[in-house]
Order: sequence, then structure tokens, then C-alpha cells
Amino acid sequence: MTSHDVSHGSNGPISTPAPSSGAPSSGAPAQLSPLRRFLLTNEFGLILLIVLFAVLFAVTTRGFTTPFSLFTLGRSAAVNIMIGLSMMAVIVTGGLSLAVGAIGVCAAMFLGYLIQSLGMPWPLAILAAIAMGAALGFINGFAVVRTGLHSFIITLATMSIFFGVMVFLTRAEAFRGLPPVFADFGKMKFATYFSPLLLVTLAAALGLGWLYRYSVLGREMLAAGARPEAAELSGIRVGRMIIYCHMLSGALAALAALMLVARNGAAIPSMAGQLGQDWLLPAFLGPVLGGTLLNGGRAAVLGTCLGAFLVTMLSSGLLLMRVGEFWVQSFLGLLLLLAVLMDKLRRSYLARRNLV
Amino acid sequence: MTDFARRIAAASLLSLGLAGAASAESDSMIALVPGGPNPYFTAWEQAGVDAAAEFGLAASDFKVPQKWELSQQNQLLESLLSQGYNGFLIFPGDPVGSISIAEELVANDAQVIAGAGCFQDPSPAAFCLGTDTGNSAYLGMQALVKSFGEEAKGKKVAHFTGFLVDPNTQLRIDAVKKAADEAGIEIVQVIADIDAPEPAEEKINAYLAAHAGNIDGIITTAWVPSVVSANALRKIGDKRIHMVGIDHDEVVLQAVRDGFVHGTMIQNPYGQAWLGSFALDKLRSGCTVKEDAPFIANALTTKFIDSGTALIDASNVDGYVDVMREQTAKIYDGFEASYLSCN
Repeated sequence: MTSHDVSHGSNGPISTPAPSSGAPSSGAPAQLSPLRRFLLTNEFGLILLIVLFAVLFAVTTRGFTTPFSLFTLGRSAAVNIMIGLSMMAVIVTGGLSLAVGAIGVCAAMFLGYLIQSLGMPWPLAILAAIAMGAALGFINGFAVVRTGLHSFIITLATMSIFFGVMVFLTRAEAFRGLPPVFADFGKMKFATYFSPLLLVTLAAALGLGWLYRYSVLGREMLAAGARPEAAELSGIRVGRMIIYCHMLSGALAALAALMLVARNGAAIPSMAGQLGQDWLLPAFLGPVLGGTLLNGGRAAVLGTCLGAFLVTMLSSGLLLMRVGEFWVQSFLGLLLLLAVLMDKLRRSYLARRNLV
Repeated sequence: MTDFARRIAAASLLSLGLAGAASAESDSMIALVPGGPNPYFTAWEQAGVDAAAEFGLAASDFKVPQKWELSQQNQLLESLLSQGYNGFLIFPGDPVGSISIAEELVANDAQVIAGAGCFQDPSPAAFCLGTDTGNSAYLGMQALVKSFGEEAKGKKVAHFTGFLVDPNTQLRIDAVKKAADEAGIEIVQVIADIDAPEPAEEKINAYLAAHAGNIDGIITTAWVPSVVSANALRKIGDKRIHMVGIDHDEVVLQAVRDGFVHGTMIQNPYGQAWLGSFALDKLRSGCTVKEDAPFIANALTTKFIDSGTALIDASNVDGYVDVMREQTAKIYDGFEASYLSCN
């Protein structure tokens, strides 16, 4: 489950546009040992930061290493990672989805409706809710492909449409009559420290890793994002791939929302804020910190997981440090900026040394 | 606010003779956690400081989530529990969605009380301490009716209120309508979802620009609409339109003094946090909630305690602090005997 970069012929037959490095590389990349190659990756930098901050918080705060704190950290991280993966699934096409939050809330409310109002068994309702997420993603993808407009515009519109329709249909009333299995799952602990929500996220991440690394479909998704014209000439149906990516994103957003339903024990219209906008920062932070290229063609699954985990840990640690609740958001924004600059420096360094 | 709080604490000590009752050092670490930033809750901070000093608590700290967002509040509550806080006065970010975190807090041996807003039953909160919003709105409308004198019947009134997702809003709308119907007054317009500066300024000013001549009165049942309406009436300069607002923002109080606003229905946020801190400490020390406690039922819970409301008009606007103090003292007096069972 490493980064799956379809670039320079190293992992696949299709090249992405050259990264925005400070200096262009010349000649073939230098041969590096696997260890050294890993040490130069974005993922290693994130692991290093996670370890450093974990030590810092463990030493300087009260309660960071308590079982409850570590349990809640893992549970929050599981949801944030899933939200990040949802955005990553679209970013690989070179687009984005502002509607991940709205789709998630719609799926969660649909789940509540199916169980509470229609009496559907919860396993079926979960599948239906994920399918609803994928269907809303299909609408996004179809609109993007058909209109040729940037996904920013399309998803900005559908974010309001999806959320507005949901509020109209549900009258903004929560579904609380869900089976106890949801709340029990959200509060369940493995070995004192671990939330089973982490397993759900792990399974999704492994699935995505397999998709992008080993499946033809995943390769074609990356190729369509890396250079659509070349992909089209290679026989890949780029439009279809873009729709698939949006559907995948919608399904993952639904999954994240269902995890929040388990967390809250209810399906709540405000679970992702007004129009689902509260998900946007975690949705972008994970993939961007993780090294997913905003112009598409690269899916950093492990990086997204690490990036989202780092952000969650920083939020938790900063709260424990009592730096002031209002500073946490500012700090996360600074972190995002810093991460992008660091990544640019790293790429520049690798290019100068002819290591990429 | 500081002056007000000091006076509350001093008055409580003097008038109720509580100095001797102040407990020895307690290990209670109380967190006072609103759903997000709002001027209504600023009184909680000083109330916590005063309660900690008065009842010998290890802490009673005001902790505000950075946004009105359920996940932010949940994360803050989790963090506070990890930091060692063991008593929580919470304004639920969502009356349903906040129950799960409350259950986790209680499962980790913390005590939970809902403050200013309630959890929906069933919840692990010991009880809910807040304003009886429906009654407050009803009394406010009655005060507005009274301000019209004998010619109240047939008057036209506009109602500006808070967010529709807040369950209190519908209660307020219904209560205002009930009081209006009883007096033969017509509520010509209800504008909701405006308890924030931008929508309140935009909608209230637009409405008054178009319809000020067609209404005789305004009733507001949320903080920001009260402030905006009071300012608007001052700018219009027409005291023909009678208004009754809510809460104790200085803009509204000054408008009451200057005659642009007939009165305002104050709530008692200070008392909620002060009494909440006291009750949480008692619950932590082994007291339990009495089964026959005289709770009130509202739309969300059957374990509601009214923290008090009163009309402030020109006759008592400079003594509104005393009114709140009296209400706090009145509830405190006999609180333990009425609601708690302590062996």
C-alpha cells in the first residue's frame, strides 16, 4: 500500500506531466536502494512527523497516552482518513469534489430513513446507503463529463442541491431510532485502545491500494487523470473513468458518514455542518499532505492515511496542550501551507540530484 | 460582566449565608462547554470562576468549541475527559447526536448536566438546566401586549427569531402566537434562521424598510435579532413601534433606557453555569437525583429545571443584575433539598 505514481514509466506505461519541480531532471533517474527510495518519500516524512509529535504530546500533555485518549484519536482518525480517501478518489482525475460532505450526509439520512421509516434490515440499509453515495457521485461525474465544466463548479452546485433536497425531504429531523448495533459499534473497543472503525478504514485503504496498484481499472483511472488526451489515444474511455472516480468518491463519503452515524448513534442532518462544508478541510488535508497531486494521475493511499492521521493527532494534541481551541484551526491551515512548501522543496531536491 | 459576577458571588455569600457551607477542597474538575461561540455563553466563564472559588472546586472552566460543529464539540469533550475533567455542563451541539458522547463521558465516571439546551430523552444527563423558552417567549409577548394598553386588539406584530434547527425556536414561535391570539393581536410575519449578524442585518433591515409602517410591534426571541432590531428602531427614530427583545446585550439595554425598546426578557446564563457547577460537584460527591424531584417536562426531556426569566423594562433596567442574582439565589435556595438526595 505505497504511493502509486504512474510516472516516468517506472510503474506503468503512461507518463504524468512533469511535476512542478524547481529544476528539470536530465537523463535517466539515478538507481536507489529501496530503503533510500523510501526515506526520500513523502510518506516517510509523515511517519517521522507523526513520531515526533507523538513523543512531544506524550511528554508535554496530560492524558495523551491514556487509553481513552488513544481510543478516541484512532476513532476520529478513522473517519478523517475515510473522508480524505473520498476526496483523493476524485483528485486522481485532476478534479475535486466539494460535495463529499453533502453526499455523506445524504447517504446517512437515507440510511436512517430506510431503517427507521421503512423498517429495512440494517445490513441491507448500509449497502443501500453506500449505493446512494455512489449514485450521487455518478450524478457529479456525469455532469462533469457531459458539460465539460470543471468539477469545482459542478460539485459546488450539487453540494447545495443534494443538501437542500435532503433538508426538504427530512425536514432537518434526525433519525434516532437506529438499532443499538450502530452506537455499540461506534463505542466498541479492541484491546482497550482500538476502535473497530479503524478496521473499516484499513479495509477501504487496502482495497484502494489494490485498485490503483494491481487492477486495470485503477490504472486506467490514474492514466485518465494524468494525461487525458494520451489516455484517450490509448483506448481508455476517459469520461467513463471520471464517472467511476466520482462514484468511488461518493461511496467512500457514504462510508465515512456511516462511521459517523455509528459514532453519534443517530443520523443527523448537521453531522457535516451546513451543506457538508465541515468535511472540506479534512478532505483536502489528508490527500495534499499525503502527496496526492492536485493535477491528477497520482493516488497516494498510504500518504493520505498518514496525512489524515497526522492532522487528527495534531488537533487532539493541541487541544490537550490547551493552546486555545481557536488556534487549532489556524495551526492546521499553517500546517497545510508548510506541507505543500516542504513537498515542493523535496521535489526540487530530488530533481537536482537526478533522483526522480 | 465581571462586576456582575462579583456581585452575584458576594450577594450569594451574604444573603444566603453560604460562606460556612463552602466545601473543603474538592477534586471536581468541571468543564462548561457550549455548542460553539455565542455571546449568550460569555457569562458562563465568570460563573465558573466564581463557583470554583465558592465551592472549593479544583476547576470550573469555560471551554468553547471553535465552531458550532458537532464533531468539534465531541473532540473537545473527549480531550477534556482525557485531561482529567470529571464533570460536564454541556449545551448539546445536537439534542440527539450529542447523547453518544455524553454516554461515553458517564461511562468514564464523569457527571453530565445539560445547560441552556437539553438532550432528548433518554440521555445520561442528570437533568437539564435552562430557560423555559416557551414560557419566556409567552411572557415577552404578554409584556408587548401590555405595552399597547387598552388598544392592543388588532395590532400587527412581527416576530424575529433564531435557527429553525434549534428545537427552542419552534417552541418560541408557538408561544408567541398563543399569547398573540389570546390578545387578539396578529403576527403578520415570522422571520427565523437569523441568529447571526449577517442574515439578521439583511433580513430585519429589509423587512423594516418595506413594512415598518404596517406594523405596530416587534418581538424578538434570539440574541442577534434583538440587537439588530434595537439598532434599527434607534436609526428609524420612531418610537411608535413597540418592541420586546431578549437577553441582556448592552445595545438592547441602552435602547430600553432610551425608550426605543419597551423591554427585554433576560435569561440566566450565569445562574446556569454557577448552579450547574455546584450540582455537578454534588453529584460527584455521591449525591443522586431525587426520583420525585419537581422537574418540568418540555419538548425534549422530562427532567428540566427552569433557570429563570424576567422582564427588564425602563423601571428596572439599571438593576437587571440584581434581578438575575435574585433568580439564581431563589433556585439555589432549596436546590439540594428539592432535586438531590445526599447522604
